[in-house]
Amino acid sequence: MTRYIIRRLIQAIPLLFIISAVLFVLMQNMGDPIATLGGRMVTRPADRQRLARQLGLDKPIYVQYLYWLIGNDWAKTDLDGDGIPETQGTRHGVLRGDFGTSLVNRGVPVVQVIADRLPNTLILMLTAEVVIIVGSLLVGVYSALRQYSLVDNFVTAVSFIGYSMPIFFIALMTMYIFSVNFKKWGLPYLPTVGMFDPNVGETFPQVVWHMILPVFSISFISYAAYSRYIRSTMLEVLSQDYIRTAKAKGLPKREITFIHALKNASLPIVTIVGLELPLLLGGAVVTERIFAWPGMGRLFLDHLERSDTPVVMGILMLIAVAVIVFQIITDVVYAWLDPRIRYH
Amino acid sequence: MSAKKWCFTLMLLVTLVVASCKPATTPPPAVQHTTAPEATKPPEPTKAPEATTAPEPTKAPEPTKPPEPTTTPVPAQAKIATFIWTQEFDTLNPLYTNMWFSATTFQIWNCYAWDFDDQNNPVPVLIKEIPSMDNGGVSADGKVITLKLRDDIVWSDGTPITAEDFIFTYKMTIEPKNAVATTHPYDKIAKIEAPDPKTLVTTFTDPFAPWLGTLWKGIVPAHILQPVFDKDGTLDNAEWNRTPTVGCGPFVFKEWESGSFARFVANTNYWRGRPKLDEIFFRFVPDDASQIAAIKSGEGDLGTFFAYSDVPDLEKAGVTMLKAYSGYNEGIYFNMHPTKGHPALKDQNVRLAIAYATDRASIVKDLLLGLTGVAATYWDNTPYVDPSIKPYPYDPQKAKDLLDEAGWIDSNGDDVRDKDGVELVLKYGTTTREIRKDTQAVIQQQLAAVGIKVELLNYDSDTYFNSYGAGGPAATFQLDMYEYSTSPNFPDPDTGEWLCNNIPSDELPSGNNWAGLCDPTLDQLFQDEMVQVDFNTRQQTFYKITKYIFDQVYFLGIWHDPDLWGVNERLLNVKVSGATPLYNIWEWDLTQ
Repeated sequence: MTRYIIRRLIQAIPLLFIISAVLFVLMQNMGDPIATLGGRMVTRPADRQRLARQLGLDKPIYVQYLYWLIGNDWAKTDLDGDGIPETQGTRHGVLRGDFGTSLVNRGVPVVQVIADRLPNTLILMLTAEVVIIVGSLLVGVYSALRQYSLVDNFVTAVSFIGYSMPIFFIALMTMYIFSVNFKKWGLPYLPTVGMFDPNVGETFPQVVWHMILPVFSISFISYAAYSRYIRSTMLEVLSQDYIRTAKAKGLPKREITFIHALKNASLPIVTIVGLELPLLLGGAVVTERIFAWPGMGRLFLDHLERSDTPVVMGILMLIAVAVIVFQIITDVVYAWLDPRIRYH
Repeated sequence: MSAKKWCFTLMLLVTLVVASCKPATTPPPAVQHTTAPEATKPPEPTKAPEATTAPEPTKAPEPTKPPEPTTTPVPAQAKIATFIWTQEFDTLNPLYTNMWFSATTFQIWNCYAWDFDDQNNPVPVLIKEIPSMDNGGVSADGKVITLKLRDDIVWSDGTPITAEDFIFTYKMTIEPKNAVATTHPYDKIAKIEAPDPKTLVTTFTDPFAPWLGTLWKGIVPAHILQPVFDKDGTLDNAEWNRTPTVGCGPFVFKEWESGSFARFVANTNYWRGRPKLDEIFFRFVPDDASQIAAIKSGEGDLGTFFAYSDVPDLEKAGVTMLKAYSGYNEGIYFNMHPTKGHPALKDQNVRLAIAYATDRASIVKDLLLGLTGVAATYWDNTPYVDPSIKPYPYDPQKAKDLLDEAGWIDSNGDDVRDKDGVELVLKYGTTTREIRKDTQAVIQQQLAAVGIKVELLNYDSDTYFNSYGAGGPAATFQLDMYEYSTSPNFPDPDTGEWLCNNIPSDELPSGNNWAGLCDPTLDQLFQDEMVQVDFNTRQQTFYKITKYIFDQVYFLGIWHDPDLWGVNERLLNVKVSGATPLYNIWEWDLTQ
C-alpha cells in the first residue's frame, strides 16, 4: 500500500505541471487586469504602460509562467521605464512556496488571500456536506426498507423538486420568505446576508444563525442525488444472498441493515464523497454570492472577473492538489471497506 | 463499521466544523453617546465655478419621528450605520486604487484637500480656502497652486497634518518602485515645496487647468509610511494598505475581514468634532437581489448602484432614493478610424441619420422607467455644455432622407441600404449588462426600420475594456459602434478620448482614443482647454467642444447615468455628492 501511495504521488507531479501550464495560458486570455483596475473608467494609457511594466505583465507569457513557477529573484526588472533593468526581482516562485501577491489586493500574498477565506468555506461546506450525508442516509435507507410506501413516494417527490430547481432560485426564494416577508409579517425571521449581526458581533450562535439559509439551499438541491443513490444501492444489496442468509440466521434487523447491508452499499457512496470533498474547497459560488458568505467561491469569482492570475492560479492549484490527494485517500478507504481490494 | 462507529465519525466531523469556527470577535461596545463637541466651523468656501445648468439637487431623506421616550431607562446603544456594498474594496491606500467602492471610503477615514458638495461645488477640508486667482492661490500663468493648510488638522493619532504629508504623498505617487494606480496629475509637477509646515506650493511644468478635479484626492501619513518605505523600498506590500489604522477622516479604520465586512469607528480627534455616528459597518454583498433584500429587511441602511427597474420596489418599501450626477453619460461612439471600420460612418450624414433614427426618449421611458433623462453630450449635467444643445429628436423620415442624400440606398431589394457594393451592416458592441443588451435590441429594430442592419456583440467587461495591446474589441477597431458610460475627470471636464495622439496602434498599444478619430479642429480645442486655468475662458472653449462633437455626431448620448443611492429612513442628514459621495458623513445620524 505504501509503495502504491508513493507511486501515485510521484505520478501526480507531471500531472500538476501540465495542469498549471494549461490553466496559466487560459488565464492570460481571461482579460486584462489593468484595463480598468476595477474602476469605472478605462485606465489612462501612460498608467497602463507603467503598471504592465511594474507588475511584469508586459513580459511574454512563457516568461510570466517561468516567474510564477521559479520566481524572478535571479533576474532584474526595469521599473522606471528607461529600458534598463535595474531592480532585482523579489518573487521566489511556486516551487519554493511563493504563490506571489494578488494583483487586486495589491501586495497581499496569495496564500494569505486564500487562508482568509478557506475557514469560512469549510464551515459552510462541511456543515452542508454533513447535513446532506446524514439526511440522505436516513432518507435513502428508509426508502429502501419501505419501498413504494407513502413516505418513500413523498420523499422521492420532494427530492426531485429540489434536484430540478436552480440553487439561485431556492436561495433567493427562501431569503425573501424567511427574512424579508417574515419580518414584514411580524414573525421571527432569519438574517438575509453575511455571517453575523454587527450589533452583536461575530459569535458562534450568530454564525450558526446566519448559516441556516445557505446550508439549507446547498443541502436541498444536493441531497436528492445522494438519497436516490443510497436507496438504489441499498435495494441492490438487500436482495443479495448473504442478506437472506443473515435473515435466516435470525440476526436482528438493525444489525442486518446497518452492518451487513449499509457497509457494502457504502462503496459507491465513498467514491462520490471522495470526488466531492476536494471540490468543497472551491466553495459554493452561487450560494456564497447570494448570501454574501465570504468563502472561496466568491473569492474565485471576484478575482477571476478582474483577471487576478496569481490568486486564481492559487485556488485552482489548491483544488487540483486536493483532488489528487482525495483520490488516493478514496482508494485507501476502498481497501479498508472491502478487504478483497488490494493495491500493488 | 458498527452503528456506533458511524455515529462517532459523524460527531467527529461536526466537532471539526465547530472547532474551525473562528473565535468570536469582540462585539462593538455599547457606547454612551454623548453630545458631540461643537464642530469647528469650516471656513467659507471661496467662489466655486457656477454651473450654468445646475444638476438636480439630491434630496436628503426626511428625518423620521424619533421614538417616544419611555419611562424605563434604555441602555445606550452604539449608533452603527450599515452600508451594503456590492463590491469589496481592493485596497484602502488611496494611491493604489482606481476602484470607486474603495474611493468612496476616503471621505470616511482618509481626507481630500477639498471635497465637493451635493451641487458638486468645492468645499475646503484640509485647507483654509479653495485657491483661486483672486486670493492668490493660483498664479497668473496658471502654473503655481498654493495651498494654505488649516492650523487644527491632525491625523487620528494626534500627529499634526503638515505640508510634509502632501510632499510625501507626491513622492510616493511618482516613485517607480510603487505600482500605484495612477501618477496623474503628479507626473506633470515640476516642483513642490513647503515654505512652512502649513503652506504647500505646487508648480506645474505647464499651466494645468484640471487641478481642482485631480489633485490631492487622498493623502498618506508620512510619519507612518516613511519608515515602511525606507525599510522595504516600496509601499506595495505595506500593512497600512489594508489596515490604515491612522487616518484623517471623521472615522478611523478598525477592522476589515476579507469578503465579509469592514468597520470604521468614530475618530475622537477629528477636527470638525466627533461624528454623530459611532460606527460605519460595511457589508460586502455581491448579489444585487440580496443587496435589495438586505435593505428592505432593514439589515442595511445605505446601498448604491441599483438598477432602475428596482427603484419602484425600493421606494415602496420606504427606502429614499437619491440621485447624484457624477459625470457619467451612456452613449454610442462611432469608429472613425481612417482605414478601419465601416466606410459609411465616416460620413457625417450617416451618423446624423443614426441619431435621428434612434428613439432615445422611448428607451429612457420604457427601459429606464423615465427615471433619468436623455443625454445629448458626453458632458451633460456639468457646467460645460453649450446651453443651446438639445438632444436630436426621433425622426425616422429625416434619417431616411439623410441616408438617401449620402448615397446609401437599397439597390438590391434586401431591405438593407448599400453603396458601391458595400452593405450598410454595422457591428454594434457593448458589455453584457442587461440594460445595455436591451438598449441594443431596441436600437437594432429602430435602425432596421431605416435600412441599417446592425449585428449585436456583447463582451464581459474586462474583455470589452481591454486595450489595443490586449486585443480589446473596441480598442482594436473591430466594432463600428460601441456603447458604454464614462465620465471625464469629474468634476473636471478634461478627457483624452478624442485626442489625435491617443489613437491606439502598434506603437501606442495603450491609447484610449478608441474612436480612432483625429479631427484637427477638435484636437486644437482640447489642447486649448487643458491650459485655460480661468473658469470662464475654459467654459467657453468647452461650449465649442460640446457643440462641435454634437454637430459632427462623434458621440451619440443615450441616457444620463447618475449614481442611485438608497437610504433607509432611519439614517438622517444624508447628502450625496457625485464627485465625493459621502462628503458630509460626519453629520450623518441615526434614529435610535
